[in-house]
Amino acid sequence: MSAITTSLAEYRHQLKSNRWGLWLFFLSEAFMFGGLLTSRFYLWGDTRPPLDQNLGFIVTVVLLLSSFFMNRAETAIAHDDRKNFQLNLIITAVLGIAFLVGVVGFEWQGEVRPTDGAYGAVLYGMTGMHALHVLSGLIFIMIVFFNGRKGHYSAERHWGVEACAVWWHYVDLVWVFFYPALYLMGTVIHP
Amino acid sequence: MKTFFSLGLIRGIVSQLIVTAIGMGITVAVRVAMGLPAWKAEPAAVVGALLGAIGFMFGVGALTDWLKWMKGEETPMRHGPPKDKPAWTRYFTVDYNHKIIGVQYTVTGIALIGIAGSLAMIFRLELSAPGLQFLTADTYNTFMSAHGIVMIGGILLGVAGAMNYLVPLMIGASDMAFPRLNAFGFWVTVPAALLIVSGMVFGGWDTGWTGYPPLSARAPLGIQLFFLGVYFIGLSSILGALNLLVTVARMRAPGMTLFRMPIFVWASVATSLIALTATQLIALSFLMVLVQRLLGMGFFDPNLTPEAVAMGAPPGNPLLFQHLFWFYSHPAVYVFILPGLGIISELLPVFARKPLFGYKWIAMSSLTIALVGFLVWAHHMFTAGMEEYLRLPFSYTTLLVAVPTGVKFFSWVATLWKGRISLETPMLFVLGAISVFLIGGLTGPPNGTVTTDLQLHDTYWIVGHFHATMFGGFVFPFFAAIYYWYPKVTGRMFSETLGKLHFWLMTPSFWVMSLVQQQIGLMGMRRRIADYDPALGIQAQQVAITIAGYIIFASVLVMIYNLVYSYRHGKIAVANPWNSRSPEFQIPSPIPEHSYEQPFLVTGEPYDYGLEGSVYISIKPDIANAPVAAK
Amino acid sequence: MKNHLLNVVVLVGIVTAATLALLKNIPLAPVQASAEGAVTDWLFGLHINVIAFLFALIMVFMLYSVFVFRREPGSLETGEYFHGNTPLEIVWTIAPLITVLYFGYLGAVTLKDITSPGQNELVVNVTGSQWAWKFEYPDSGLTSNTLVLPVGRTVKLEMTSLDVIHSFWVPEFRVKQDLLPGVTKTLRVTPTLPGEYKLRCAEICGRDHAYMVAPVQVLSASAYEAWVNSQVSEAQAAESAPPAERGKTLAQVQGCLACHSADGSPGNGPTWAGLYGEEITLADGTTVTADDAYLKTAIVDPGAQIAEGFPNIMPPTYGDVLSEEQIADIIAYIKSLNE
Ligand code: HEA
Ligand code: HEA
Ligand code: HEC
Ligand code: CUA
Ligand SMILES: [Cu+2]
Repeated sequence: MSAITTSLAEYRHQLKSNRWGLWLFFLSEAFMFGGLLTSRFYLWGDTRPPLDQNLGFIVTVVLLLSSFFMNRAETAIAHDDRKNFQLNLIITAVLGIAFLVGVVGFEWQGEVRPTDGAYGAVLYGMTGMHALHVLSGLIFIMIVFFNGRKGHYSAERHWGVEACAVWWHYVDLVWVFFYPALYLMGTVIHP
Repeated sequence: MKTFFSLGLIRGIVSQLIVTAIGMGITVAVRVAMGLPAWKAEPAAVVGALLGAIGFMFGVGALTDWLKWMKGEETPMRHGPPKDKPAWTRYFTVDYNHKIIGVQYTVTGIALIGIAGSLAMIFRLELSAPGLQFLTADTYNTFMSAHGIVMIGGILLGVAGAMNYLVPLMIGASDMAFPRLNAFGFWVTVPAALLIVSGMVFGGWDTGWTGYPPLSARAPLGIQLFFLGVYFIGLSSILGALNLLVTVARMRAPGMTLFRMPIFVWASVATSLIALTATQLIALSFLMVLVQRLLGMGFFDPNLTPEAVAMGAPPGNPLLFQHLFWFYSHPAVYVFILPGLGIISELLPVFARKPLFGYKWIAMSSLTIALVGFLVWAHHMFTAGMEEYLRLPFSYTTLLVAVPTGVKFFSWVATLWKGRISLETPMLFVLGAISVFLIGGLTGPPNGTVTTDLQLHDTYWIVGHFHATMFGGFVFPFFAAIYYWYPKVTGRMFSETLGKLHFWLMTPSFWVMSLVQQQIGLMGMRRRIADYDPALGIQAQQVAITIAGYIIFASVLVMIYNLVYSYRHGKIAVANPWNSRSPEFQIPSPIPEHSYEQPFLVTGEPYDYGLEGSVYISIKPDIANAPVAAK
Repeated sequence: MKNHLLNVVVLVGIVTAATLALLKNIPLAPVQASAEGAVTDWLFGLHINVIAFLFALIMVFMLYSVFVFRREPGSLETGEYFHGNTPLEIVWTIAPLITVLYFGYLGAVTLKDITSPGQNELVVNVTGSQWAWKFEYPDSGLTSNTLVLPVGRTVKLEMTSLDVIHSFWVPEFRVKQDLLPGVTKTLRVTPTLPGEYKLRCAEICGRDHAYMVAPVQVLSASAYEAWVNSQVSEAQAAESAPPAERGKTLAQVQGCLACHSADGSPGNGPTWAGLYGEEITLADGTTVTADDAYLKTAIVDPGAQIAEGFPNIMPPTYGDVLSEEQIADIIAYIKSLNE
């Protein structure tokens, strides 16, 4: 976040470093998410548990949509358009919450329990880890929203918003890999 | 007394204790609300430990600036030294200067190595005779497992200390790219270490440092604290590596092209690439066992509940854990050694007064070791029962690591060849390191060919192999580094006599310890046993190992004494006691708060010893070699 | 210049020879008792040669330099100025590369040697559990706690674990294989030397890992036949023995006695002496009487009712391993311990 007192030149130098840092962190996290995906393929093979397809599809659409609004929010602040910036942030957050409610409130109440062998473990492991990241993204959005209301961020200085947006897109991207791995690949076995 | 309670460390520990208690209370409350019996030790301990560690970070003040940012408050770009407080308090409080953090890491690392070494002293005494003397099988297992993991934690901290202290100085950066993250990375290791050590008290655990399920899934409670502790140390590794990579990428002095960086910086980059990425996998694997125990998520549990059978769910698989675990833990061994090998390459030219032979080859060999290191993990699993067809490819990749490592050895020898060598303490440790790491490295290929590993796996041969690699690749170079940079850190010289005493006690003893471990391993001595069969006929050797271990321990005490004593009474150090070309030796000792008053310019090669009139960097010319007034 | 190099080359030769001579005179392996062992020892010997040479090479170069190219500390003399030699670097990249590839190849060939099936294999099922070994001979229907093998015949060990990971290792055989719960892993051994050895669990498996040992006997073909026959007739005799007798044998071979004592001495599980009919306090505070029904559940589903003061570590798989009748025999045996 851009709350350090500096000259603009200093700010720009630090901004570049910040971007490096964030992307390296993504690289690091990619290994963790990759590990979860590997576990899914190692344990499930070409099967998958019985999951609610409609629900899976809806939450995916919701999350992808949220990324769109997040992008609009970032563009807005880059043009010093505070009103749209705040509005789009709220929409993003609402969609993010909807996603969480879909996964935690509905999918987690479904047929598969955490104790159900590799199905339960991997399903709850992957969605849980992802939900944790969505939650952190929501908190991040909240912080940016309130700081925005206090008049922070400007067209030149809005690293906080940028980081929040990129983080949100990243979490979204992870779901793009998780969704097919959980819902689409493999066949459901009916014993 | 007031100063004492204003120390970040104390506030951190106190709030860790309080928040742990709160966390346990919350667990009880939630259980009551859910209609479960109120007290169950394991969830209470895990929640308490997790929140407690976060509580520590609040209490110590590592989060203060970030919290301000969240509230939208401004903070200065850089914090200077604290005002109106004694200087020593900086080391026990959150401080953002990379040199302070480097020292904090290093000292904490040595303390951990001390704890782990003391555990070794206890269980070595037990092993000096067959039968159970004074430990039980359970305490032996706990001590042995804790020895392994605390040593490894100590190494990671030592590595981070060296990189934090040296890299910004070597590349002419004012500090690390993210000073707050840097401080966070150090401080999170403190609650982590407290968790691991308290795990020994609260039940202990009996799995070795590798924590394989299903054993770890049914081990005593202590293992959960061990998992959480390793998790936080892993977090520290990841954040430190990220910080270092950005620093090297963005903050090099003008003129410092990649191939003009000191070689240690190359080693640090290779190390950080591993730590940044692979660490996630050990964290994940431990987290998975943790939730398997806590929530019954059977990632690694081969048994199914009736409901799971009804659903047609596949069972968990213990081998998955081993893949995830070794995907980190093999590359991790290169995290331990690459900085050490970098230090060897750094010091050899200084004491041989000759350019580093094959600079680019050495730089590239670090990267090659790091990258190939990602492809070899399953050599720890040759006997584990993984897919048979995987054994040979992993055997080949493992053997390939010998090639870049060999490049380093040959280049070192060529650096020494026709040099003008002097044997001050740091140089002695460098030579010791080469000899010890050579033993460790050469005993690697027999483990790497499957046929021979089927015999060697899980014996003391392996124990000998890895003590030699870790001592040669980390402990000896780390000690060399401590002696070499001590004058820059403290402004005083250490006692050469005591330094030499340390070396001559430690090196032969280490040879005895490691070689004899290998021999009894070949004779049939298994790893991780509290008691061994007298029929193996290895009592004499066991006694020899124990004695050698004790001498090593004593020799390190000599070093500690030397460092502490010389801090007050040592000779005042000149700016450049070893006539090094490295940038940090061109400024006064001890290094001032803001290392370089102005950025320096790189005008030559780093290791052109013996080339008339060449300098590596140019800053104000008159300060080199000027003695510094006493503090 | 020539001189130094020549000196070093001669010294490397001498030190290599000396190192090898030393290693030849130190015992580096227990006796070799299997055909696989011959292969392993050969390859290991080759490794040792390479290690001795490389060790000598680096150490001699290093120590020679240290002794010959010395400087007083503090003097500002400098060494000869050269900072690299690409052809040399290439040589010492390629030569080790070829060496290790060759070793990789040898590793592959020898691995095939020691894992390929033999003729007329003897199958033995091996079960590991905390902290006991059990061997079953499907041919003859025998069960034993001693691994008895005929010399000269390839044995195919089909191995599994009831609880955690264990590892089958007889140092004299030179091969090792982990036992995993839930799956069966195969290992082949061809004993070549009659004698008595020890099977030692090589993977940490909890408290008594150190003591998870079982005797191994390699017998001549005829002695092995005789052993099988005597065991078979003993087993037949046992069939007609009273249930408590049969239960005693079962408790022994199934490994129950690794955790439960018959004489009241403490163990990992509650002692069986005087157990029958006792009031048992369970971990959740309730009490039950140790009658037949309780004992049966305790064996088939040990996690259901945990006796107070004991960890839940008893393998949950005995329900599948033991028949109804065998369980009844064991209970009869437990009962008999009250008298
Ligand atoms: C600092 C740590 C470190 C380092 C650097 C290494 C380096 C190597 N290690 Fe080691 N290893 C460990 C730490 C380390 N290891 C630990 C901790 C374990 C046990 C873990 C546990 O189970 O608890 C272990 C276990 C271990 C195993 C598993 C054994 C088993 O449990 O069955 C294997 C198997 O392949 C192995 C191989 C190697 C190889 C091939 C190298 C190579 O990198 C070595 C390369 C170096 C050389 C070969 C010497 C110099 C080269 C030349 C002079 C060139 C010419 C050489 C040739 C032609 C051969 N190691
Ligand atoms: C850096 C890593 C490291 C180091 C330095 C050591 C050092 C020693 N190790 Fe350790 N060891 C491991 C890493 C290490 N070990 C690991 C990873 C395992 C595997 C565990 C497992 O199987 O799970 C292991 C296992 C292991 C075993 C096998 C146990 C078994 O399988 O049952 C043995 C047995 O002899 C042993 C012995 C020793 C001894 C005698 C020393 C001695 O050299 C110790 C000497 C003491 C010191 C070097 C410390 C001195 C420091 C001070 C005195 C500082 C005091 C200062 C302050 C408090 C500020 N170790
Ligand atoms: C790895 C150790 C282990 C092995 C092997 C083992 N047990 Fe147990 N057993 C225990 C422990 C620990 C308990 C107490 C905890 C419990 O009730 O599950 C126990 C409890 C029991 C009880 C209930 C006793 C009581 O006091 O409540 C019976 C009966 C029993 N075991 C029978 C057997 C039989 C029969 C076998 C072999 C076929 C066997 N056990 C093998 C560890 C073991
Ligand atoms: Cu079974 Cu160790
Ligand atoms: Cu490895």
